[in-house]
Amino acid sequence: MSGIKLTINGLEVEAQPGQTVLEVARDNHIYIPTLCQYPGTTNVGACRVCLVEVENARTLVASCCMPVTSGMVVRTNTERVRKAQRLIVELLWSSGDHNCLTCERNGNCELQDLVYWLKIDKPRFNIDPPGYEIEATNTMIQRDLNKCILCGRCVRACNEIQINEVLDFTMRGSEAKVGPAFDLDYIQSECVFCGECVNVCPTGALTFKQARFAGRPWEMKKVRTTCTYCGVGCQMDLNVHEGKIVSVTGNREYGTPNTGSLCVKGRFGVDFVHHQDRLKKPLLRRQKGGELTEASWDEAIDFVAERLSALKKEYGSDSIAGLSSARCTNEENYLFQKFMRAVIGSRHVDHCARL
Amino acid sequence: MKVFRSHILVCGGTGCRASGSQNVKKALLAELINRNLSEEIKVVETGCNGFCAMGPIMVVYPDGVIYMLVQPEDIPELVEEHLVKGRILERLLYREPTTEAVIPTMQEIPFFALQELRVLRNRGLIDPEKIEEYIARDGYAGMAKALTEMTPEDIVKEMLASGLRGRGGAGFPTGLKWQFAAQSQGDTKYVLCNADEGDPGAFMDRSVLEADPHAVLEGMVIAARAIGSHQGYIYCRAEYPLAIQRLNIAIDQAREMGLLGTDILGTGFDFNLEIYQGAGAFVCGEETALMTSIEGKRGMPRPRPPFPAVAGLWQKPSILNNVETFANVGQIIFRGAQWFASVGTEKSKGTKVFALTGDVNNVGLVEVPMGTTLGTIVYDIGGGIPKGKKFKAAQLGGPSGGMIPVQHLNAPVDYEKVTELGAIMGSGGMIVMNEDSCAVDMARFFMDFCQDESCGKCTPCREGTKRMLEILNNITTGKSKEGDIELLEEMAAIIKDSALCGLGQTAPNPVLSTIRYFRQEYEDHILRHHCSAAVCSALFKSPCQHTCPIEMDIPSYIALIRAERFEDAYRILLRTNPFPSVCGRVCDHKCQSKCRRGKLDEPIAIKFLKRFITDNASRPKIEAVPVTRKEKIAVIGAGPAGLTAARDLAQRGYKVTVFEELSEPGGMLRWAIPSYRLPRDILAREIEDVRTLGVEICCNTRIGRDLSWEQVDTDYDYVYLAPGAHKSQKMDIPGEDLKGVYGGVEFLRDFNANEEDWLAGKKTLGSRVAVIGGGNSAIDAARVAARLGADVLILYRRERKDMPAAEEEIEAAEHEGIQIEYLVAPVKITEINGAVTGITCQRMKLGEFDRSGRKRPDPIAGSEYTVSVDSVIAAIGQIPDMTFVPGDSGVAVNRWSCFDLAGGSQSQTMNPKFFAGGDAVTGPDTVIGAIAAGHQAAKDIDAAIRAKNGEQPYEAPPEEKIDIPLIIDEETQEAPQTKMPEMAAAARRRSFAEVELGFTREEAIGEAIRCLRCDAEI
Repeated sequence: MSGIKLTINGLEVEAQPGQTVLEVARDNHIYIPTLCQYPGTTNVGACRVCLVEVENARTLVASCCMPVTSGMVVRTNTERVRKAQRLIVELLWSSGDHNCLTCERNGNCELQDLVYWLKIDKPRFNIDPPGYEIEATNTMIQRDLNKCILCGRCVRACNEIQINEVLDFTMRGSEAKVGPAFDLDYIQSECVFCGECVNVCPTGALTFKQARFAGRPWEMKKVRTTCTYCGVGCQMDLNVHEGKIVSVTGNREYGTPNTGSLCVKGRFGVDFVHHQDRLKKPLLRRQKGGELTEASWDEAIDFVAERLSALKKEYGSDSIAGLSSARCTNEENYLFQKFMRAVIGSRHVDHCARL
Repeated sequence: MKVFRSHILVCGGTGCRASGSQNVKKALLAELINRNLSEEIKVVETGCNGFCAMGPIMVVYPDGVIYMLVQPEDIPELVEEHLVKGRILERLLYREPTTEAVIPTMQEIPFFALQELRVLRNRGLIDPEKIEEYIARDGYAGMAKALTEMTPEDIVKEMLASGLRGRGGAGFPTGLKWQFAAQSQGDTKYVLCNADEGDPGAFMDRSVLEADPHAVLEGMVIAARAIGSHQGYIYCRAEYPLAIQRLNIAIDQAREMGLLGTDILGTGFDFNLEIYQGAGAFVCGEETALMTSIEGKRGMPRPRPPFPAVAGLWQKPSILNNVETFANVGQIIFRGAQWFASVGTEKSKGTKVFALTGDVNNVGLVEVPMGTTLGTIVYDIGGGIPKGKKFKAAQLGGPSGGMIPVQHLNAPVDYEKVTELGAIMGSGGMIVMNEDSCAVDMARFFMDFCQDESCGKCTPCREGTKRMLEILNNITTGKSKEGDIELLEEMAAIIKDSALCGLGQTAPNPVLSTIRYFRQEYEDHILRHHCSAAVCSALFKSPCQHTCPIEMDIPSYIALIRAERFEDAYRILLRTNPFPSVCGRVCDHKCQSKCRRGKLDEPIAIKFLKRFITDNASRPKIEAVPVTRKEKIAVIGAGPAGLTAARDLAQRGYKVTVFEELSEPGGMLRWAIPSYRLPRDILAREIEDVRTLGVEICCNTRIGRDLSWEQVDTDYDYVYLAPGAHKSQKMDIPGEDLKGVYGGVEFLRDFNANEEDWLAGKKTLGSRVAVIGGGNSAIDAARVAARLGADVLILYRRERKDMPAAEEEIEAAEHEGIQIEYLVAPVKITEINGAVTGITCQRMKLGEFDRSGRKRPDPIAGSEYTVSVDSVIAAIGQIPDMTFVPGDSGVAVNRWSCFDLAGGSQSQTMNPKFFAGGDAVTGPDTVIGAIAAGHQAAKDIDAAIRAKNGEQPYEAPPEEKIDIPLIIDEETQEAPQTKMPEMAAAARRRSFAEVELGFTREEAIGEAIRCLRCDAEI
């Protein structure tokens, strides 16, 4: 299909039908700020910071929702656009408790970045946070609605990415807020603590409780890894500070299988890593009634092979059964059953997920 | 069909039901049974008749007599008189508010006569719950035509040709909307009717649904046929239970008759209709939010594109039209586009229904051709403003619209003009506001509404309206700062440009429109904490005090009268007013116009109470103030402005000399106002107090004649110029310079100077006198002339209600036998041998509205006639005499012969040594205005001196404490203002004794008790 030609800031660019102005601008490395827009969710045009001028349009238009048309003339950097963006960000700033000093998102906050980028010294309005209590009823997610800018990303993440359908807007106008039904806390609601909402939040309204005061964003070392909990193989970043995992974040760019999403285990179940009881080397009970003692992998594998062979010889293949783990991959499970059937010769093989 | 000799139509609209029409109907039915008339007379409950203010309403056919404000108790008499004896019951008929004329039939009442009923053609005529009655009025004929004779393209073409535009407010061409939807691909399409009417003060759609629900259904079926839809929804707010009930009945009846549902009229066309009840969110009137709401989601708007014609309800092509739009459709198809477009303006065709509310006599529903002027709607149909108040503005388009102020009463109301004036047509809410409405407060009210109703989705609307409201709240409570207007303007422009949906984009409109037309009011609130409408109560103690130019402490002295502490009351008067006994007689009492009691029955007689104090309390003793300051100050003119300034300056220790051209001080008080209104000794007493303080008054001293300007300039450090406006304006007609022709103030001055000669007949006006003009001077001149024995005729070019003179003065003149002719203007004065023989006049007719909101008098050609008179007094206005000001004085005089003030100052002229005030700055104004000017000048002169000397600003000595009693009555009984006792009219002829006799002690206390004590802090 042939491309659509349009002009952005005097630059003639080509786009595909169905693309939005924002997408085309980004394809052409033209920066348009956004807050409510989030990939993989509906474009709602709520925050209005992505406004651009489109020739012959009555008002400014939200570039995130505006499909391109042939011959469209777009300007992203005029005084009219900037004045509107500045007022909008000023209004957002003054509407909440955006105190960067103690905020976990300091240095990694989209609102903070935007204030700086638009060169706003301070808002002309009284800073007037709504005075919500910080939600402290669970151990995983800290919810401070005083820092919420009502972009609705968490709502869409919950409903469109995770399809948990827990979050939505309640109340209206300047009293609007986001939350589970009936104003319940997360812990009382149907929330499964996937943490998607925290992952998409542009400000410090939703943060990882375990990460509170555990390190600033710029002090974090990000380590990409695969989740160990199950066989899906979710990709994720461990945020490591002073050798300790502080939090786990998803990263859309890692793509399949999870496109940045995680479940409650992968997201919050990392405390085992540094747990004192964690098993790091094989243990062997060398004689009946004896203590478990550390062994090398070679020794342990030899020991197992030797004993399995002996058992098979003495009692027959059917005397041996194998039980596999859900934390193994499909390939590993396949190999395991193959091993049981072909090597051991037993049909007694099963998997923990059936229990 | 059964024939009845009479039908009685009882209005069953929501308005009339609220005022009790159901009980009236019940009583009527019972009475008819009682009298065995049930077989002869049929009672029909109709939809809204439109004249909601006068409900419950009842129309008796075939006579067409309309009865108003009918109560169940009236029914026996009404049945007896009208239905049995055939006599009209006059006491329940309509009375024209200004002329009091009784009008029996609907067609003759201007409210109905000037309307053009198309959408509302069945209102008050049919029973909305009977489909047969709708069909009998050509109902469903348009639909039948559309389904049997026209293709969908034909329908769209007809709609395009009609020029019908969306009546929900935005004015998008209906035909075009249908065309887009018709062209959209898809088997499933929806026709939606927006009945989520939510503007404050709007009730057009409700009335249409209640009075003629089938008209809406018919329009929707036609629309469905045009776009190929088989399912429709009416989104109606749940707060309209009667509309929903009648719609449901209508849908059932239409379905039963095969006019809705499957195979309509046997054509094979299917269209089903459901009602969806909205839960009351204003934003759900916005089309995308409405669709989201029908989908069962939170009613929030979504971005466009895609437009509903492509992807609307459930992402299917949809059209959404307003109730009134659909109600037009059946008629357009039935009678043709030509017929529809035969009324209206070039770009706005057809009629528009308005819900006329607010400060207007005839509150109700009106339908007029597009392009009818605002003035016609407000004055001719609406009957004008109650209680003789002035029209200030009309709010069109509710919270999304704007105000159209008085100077645009001639504006034709159509989409283009209304938008040009900064409002929007909107769905048809028209809220009339009088002078007692504060523009800032109105803007605040609508912003409060919008921020309440914002859904919270987009930032500009959610946070922006909240902040704008915060600023407006600050302005109305005295917490604002300079620059707030500019900030509001900046925010308004950006919110309009950046909000997601129509609600946010239009929310700033009321602010912008009020700033556009009433910027001065905003500035008054911000800079002076002054609300001229006396609405923003956080800015003042009481409306009366706030409205008084010198802020007299009215609640306190009224409270002291009630407590019978008259001396204390007098001391309160003197704190702010050096001339309380003068003001108690001749003040124009603006305070009373804002008295809250006036909203209940009549305002407190503040002026008369003030006079009562000065008549009955012993006068506080005035002590001379020693001169403590070195600067010498001259005051030119011993009128109220000059004497007030002199008094204030003397109190501050200055040596003040007042120069007066005439033989006695007092200015207009002495030389223009006749002694029957202001006895000379009363005035002299208060002027004497000023002298006692130490002020020197030099009479018979005209500057430039008896004392040179230069001398004054040399001898005095500062000069206050308050010469007044003592020269009559010319009429510019032939014969004006004849001997028997006087200027109003010149005649009064001559009379007051040579009273004995006039009374002795040495000077005379002759036996017939014509007075030209309608102001207080004209009335004064006429009443003096009458006392000299002449037959007096006042000629005024407008109507009585337009006369600037005080109402009580006009009445007094009439009592004294003075004739007033309205709508006439002089053309020439006839003479024989230099003696006046008559005055030739021309009749006038009222034309368009002028900027003051009054209809402009236009001459009627060939209407000239001559009245024979012996003399003519022209009192059409006064100007100052500035011949004493040398051209090189540095004091600038403008083209109205008034002093120009230096920018930013309220009293300093262009020459910093000279200050000026009173009529010589403002043009002819009131006594209280002059006193205020005098206070201001004294303050400014003193401040200038102290600033020059490097001294601290003046600090007034602490006021003696007067304890103000607070007695508030639990209940207030309605009671009119206490009448001022007067000398009998017959006794007044040839007498210059004071006409008004003053309250007695009992009357004064009784009147003081009426005060509601707005100043009380509870």
